[in-house]
Amino acid sequence: MDNEVTNYQNNRMREASHGRSLIPPCQVACPLHMEIGEYVDLVAQGKVLEALQVIREGNPFPSICAYVCTHPCEDACRRSQVDKSIAIRALKRFAVEFGGDRMIELEAETVQSEKVAVVGSGPAGLACAYYLRKLGYPVAIFEAYSELGGMLRVGIPQYRLPREVVDTEVQRLIHMGVEIKTNTRVISIDLLLDMGYKAVFITVGAHQSLRMGIEGEESPGVIDGATFLREVNLGLKPSLGEEVAVVGGGNVAMDAARAAVRLGADKVSILYRRSRTEMPASPDEIEQALEEGVETMFLVAPTKMKRENGRLSVTCVRMELGEPDAGGRRRPVPIEDSEHNMEFDTLITAIGQAPQISEDFRLRLGRGSTIQVDPVTLTTNRTGIFAGGDAVTGPATVTQALASGRQAAFRINDYLRHRYPSVDKEAEETLSGELLPKTIETIRKIERLEPPLLPPEARTKEFKPVELIYNWEAAVDEARRCLRCGMGAEIMFQDKCATCLTCLRICPYHVPYLDEGGTIQIPADQCQACGICVAECPAKAIVLRKPYDRRHIDEELEHALKSAAESKSKPLIIGFCCQYGLFGTGALASLWREGKAGIWIVPVLCVAKLEGGHILRAFEMGAEGVFVAGCGERCSRENTAFWVLQRVEEVRRALSQIGLEQERLQTFNLRAADGDITEALDNFTGRIGGLCLASVMKQEVKS
Amino acid sequence: MIVAEQKSLEEIRRIIAPYEKVLLLGCGTCVTVCGAGGEREVAFLNSALRVAQAKSDDGVHNFSEYTVKRQCDFEFLDVLVDKVNEVDTILSLGCGIGVQVVAERFPDIPILPGVNTSFMGMAKEWGVWDERCAACGDCRLAETAGICPITRCTKGILNGPCAGTKNGKCEANKDMDCAWILIYKRLERLHQLEKMRRYYPPRNFRVIPRPRRIVMKADIEQGEDNG
Ligand SMILES: Cc1cc2nc3c(=O)[nH]c(=O)nc-3n(C[C@H](O)[C@H](O)[C@H](O)COP(=O)(O)OP(=O)(O)OC[C@H]3O[C@@H](n4cnc5c(N)ncnc54)[C@H](O)[C@@H]3O)c2cc1C
Ligand code: SF4
Ligand code: SF4
Ligand code: SF4
Ligand code: SF4
Repeated sequence: MDNEVTNYQNNRMREASHGRSLIPPCQVACPLHMEIGEYVDLVAQGKVLEALQVIREGNPFPSICAYVCTHPCEDACRRSQVDKSIAIRALKRFAVEFGGDRMIELEAETVQSEKVAVVGSGPAGLACAYYLRKLGYPVAIFEAYSELGGMLRVGIPQYRLPREVVDTEVQRLIHMGVEIKTNTRVISIDLLLDMGYKAVFITVGAHQSLRMGIEGEESPGVIDGATFLREVNLGLKPSLGEEVAVVGGGNVAMDAARAAVRLGADKVSILYRRSRTEMPASPDEIEQALEEGVETMFLVAPTKMKRENGRLSVTCVRMELGEPDAGGRRRPVPIEDSEHNMEFDTLITAIGQAPQISEDFRLRLGRGSTIQVDPVTLTTNRTGIFAGGDAVTGPATVTQALASGRQAAFRINDYLRHRYPSVDKEAEETLSGELLPKTIETIRKIERLEPPLLPPEARTKEFKPVELIYNWEAAVDEARRCLRCGMGAEIMFQDKCATCLTCLRICPYHVPYLDEGGTIQIPADQCQACGICVAECPAKAIVLRKPYDRRHIDEELEHALKSAAESKSKPLIIGFCCQYGLFGTGALASLWREGKAGIWIVPVLCVAKLEGGHILRAFEMGAEGVFVAGCGERCSRENTAFWVLQRVEEVRRALSQIGLEQERLQTFNLRAADGDITEALDNFTGRIGGLCLASVMKQEVKS
Repeated sequence: MIVAEQKSLEEIRRIIAPYEKVLLLGCGTCVTVCGAGGEREVAFLNSALRVAQAKSDDGVHNFSEYTVKRQCDFEFLDVLVDKVNEVDTILSLGCGIGVQVVAERFPDIPILPGVNTSFMGMAKEWGVWDERCAACGDCRLAETAGICPITRCTKGILNGPCAGTKNGKCEANKDMDCAWILIYKRLERLHQLEKMRRYYPPRNFRVIPRPRRIVMKADIEQGEDNG
């Protein structure tokens, strides 16, 4: 603006405009602390490239997580207090695929001289190597098998994680200069130190299947789940016979059962000693297994087995549930005299795994043969030797392994640079607190959209990926359900607040309240970040916590005005359109016609954030017409259309007092049920053209 | 609280016409609350005036804006000293009091009113304001059950209701409650209907000297023994 806006509040606003958003619970729950709120919002805006960028900053191998992450973030998601959590993992998958993650190339330069050895190439080892390369260290990965990836390669079946995905990540690491030593089982750490490695990261996983400890466990036809899946994954196609039993209730049991179906077994039964509610496997996995014809037998446990007439005769007892154990799950107790026999061709045991650490490593071990480490520095009892992943935690998850690999890389860096570990400063505030019933009640309920799945018939024949990808519209709609936790409104200057109670009266979710001292408070854990109060506060005392949200419309508008001025197309029409509604609806293509009709789109993140001043600014800079296009009933927030119309009326009143026709300002619904807004828009442009003509003629008459 | 309404753009444009550099001055108290002249409204007016200027070719102005916490006390205006030297006029969006205080503080520059100061009242709901007090200087609310007949009765009569009351509404405006019926109902509820049965003599406002002044501080004589 050419005129100086001298306003003491504005000056102070500038000083104070540092980011104050709070960390949402999804991010807290993610082992990698990925900025979920951020990238979900970018997907909602249709900005996949930017979303992918945010994802890559927080995750070395997002394409892998996009397939197999157990998504603890979704369990923590606050939307589940309203209806169902956001489908965060599936949205990540969408961003990774549509953002072109596989095309990204990475380089790394060696700037340090100390060599580091990584023992084991599971996700923990790969992540550690990735970050050490980024820090400039020469890194070598030692892997016992012929290929890299650990459980990603030999555990998780291909129908859940295609091998090309792992290959791509491995290729990237090679491109970054990581030295790969496959078929190399490390038997002594001292040897590595002798070879000149200054630090070693031990991440050998938990591959030793636990034994049931019952008679006949060694019989032919009995195989443990990890071994079975490894053979399947290495393409060995083990022969199973017709009837297969899988013992266990975790994800490995599910994977083994589903792999058995795919290998052609006629009947696959899962034997689990508790009931379905206690099953540790993820509900989606169980659901998909059942769809594929896997049968379940609950409250049974094998007690002995024997090979007879080419088949396995398995003796089982029935169980009932007793008192909860230390973990809170009810303990199964055998029912007396309930023994019975069943026959199978193959029995797969999947009751858990433990790490197997060579004694020659001379590492101190703890519970369940896991390596003992300092939780902050990941150091073991031996100097310069660090450990992480399943080898430390026992069987866990890919994301936990990635997080521990990343942590190890930074701690190894501290160690090699002789620095005191610079522990991540958790200075940022987190958002805590449940949503209140009155807030929940007023939040619009929107159904969670799941990505499509391959139909069960098509799945069981081969190992093709089961889960497909969202289309644009579905991804955008799903992402829009996010409540934007921690990005809401705050009163930037209490002394500026005139306690007019506007915010308290107009908030659709009844968030602001008067405290006992008569001061207005906007509790961060309830605010839905709709921005209505920000635009309506007569004292301009409220701002959105995220600085980007504060500047966004101004910047987009100035950008559009500048481009329009350069192109000199006439007449100039400015359209403020909801960025969330622009994608997946085809609306963008029909709107974006600046060359032809002189229409310039200013994307806004919900039209409820648009202020009268923005519309007036467009007219000031020469717009002949302005329209505001929101998503109407499809908006994920409440009352937005009402507030847009209020502000449009406010501006129309001003226009008519200035002598400009009120029709120059119109509102449209980008997602109206009755189709296309193109026609309405054409009418509007036509009318604006007419008005321009009229004003030219008036001037002629005047002169 | 004081309730005001912004003047029409036409009127504002007319009164600022002779001046080039105009400071739009908001007030952060009453007129902020009633949405007539707080920072939001100052910014909106600024934008609207610029549009008007861009779309017509009469007069070129240079606008700046500023909002003080309160216009009706000199001390709040000290921050304006430098700015005032740079402009040709101040359009105050404070109430009539604010306009006059600014004028008194800055004697060398013309001060223009940007709002019509309307009444003292309350927000009935968001966006709706109602008058409640006429500042008559002789409050009778004790006798009228806390409902002011001077402001809320169209005729301001002290001994109502008049013959024009119908179904609880006023004959002057059928949408408006008859203040005296409200008073009656509330007195009935409080078991104080006897207050209706008295006669209140008309008041002579002419005896009140204007402008009014209230002196609260004690008049201490110079040189008096301080104890
Ligand atoms: C069937 C199955 C399905 C799973 N599904 C999921 C899932 O859907 N989502 C999820 O989050 N997690 C899942 N997990 C768990 C997840 O795969 C593991 O938590 C994760 O892979 C652990 O990573 P890691 O790097 O610690 O170890 P691992 O991935 O186990 O890798 C360890 C590597 O070290 C190598 N190694 C061992 N000893 C030596 C040695 N002496 N010298 C050299 N190399 C050695 C091994 O060969 C192996 O490659 C699943 C696990 C299994 C078994
Ligand atoms: S609603 Fe959005 S920000 Fe909130 S927890 Fe869920 S994903 Fe995270
Ligand atoms: S709307 Fe603004 S001025 Fe009014 S109470 Fe809320 S924060 Fe204060
Ligand atoms: S931003 Fe929206 S949800 Fe938050 S306090 Fe303001 S009006 Fe309420
Ligand atoms: S100048 Fe008028 S509007 Fe401003 S605080 Fe004083 S009385 Fe209220």
